[in-house]
Amino acid sequence: MKTHQFHDLKLNDSEAFNVIITEKMMADFCLISGDNNPLHVDEAYAIENGFENRVVYGLLVSSFYSRLVGRHLPGKHALLHGIDIAFKKPVYVGDCLTVYGEITHLNAAYQQIEVQATITNQENLVVSKAKIKVGLHG
Amino acid sequence: MNRNNIFEKVQQIFRDVFDNQKLTIVDSSTAESIDDWDSLNHINLIVGIEKEFDIKFSLNEVTALKDVGEMINLINHKVQIA
Repeated sequence: MKTHQFHDLKLNDSEAFNVIITEKMMADFCLISGDNNPLHVDEAYAIENGFENRVVYGLLVSSFYSRLVGRHLPGKHALLHGIDIAFKKPVYVGDCLTVYGEITHLNAAYQQIEVQATITNQENLVVSKAKIKVGLHG
Repeated sequence: MNRNNIFEKVQQIFRDVFDNQKLTIVDSSTAESIDDWDSLNHINLIVGIEKEFDIKFSLNEVTALKDVGEMINLINHKVQIA
């Protein structure tokens, strides 16, 4: 886990990591959220509705923005202030995602950074974008 | 850019931050007179103003502000010396 303090950070600093979506993640997220919409749990239904397979929960994919700020940018001293997310393309079990974030603004008065983040799949297609506001404490 | 121009731009920033396109600010507006003006929205306002006017605030400057009028005056000062 990174331990960046506000004064360590500068514009365009970036971090990235990869993650593969598993069946267990889907089952765990279904349990936690209680969202058993057939698009996420019923393969036949998802295919009938024009998707390749069950669609991974958008908020499961978005949970990696939490890892991005909580472990990487800035890491230990992060306190998430807000996040605007857009879903661009469906994600499926087995997809290998790259989560990337780059600092686009630093506010010294309140020690807040803004991170422009993207998640791309193994075909380099953007599946999600986010603008994240993170305070630094400690 | 004069004070009125700055005021109009700041009003739009308030409307965007508070997601209320009918919100009207006056010089005497404060956190007590505008719903949802909490600490996070205050940071959003300051960041929005910094980006709009390409200026930076120190913590001492922003904590000393008593109302919107003082905020506008501080922006006006920073824009003039930039």
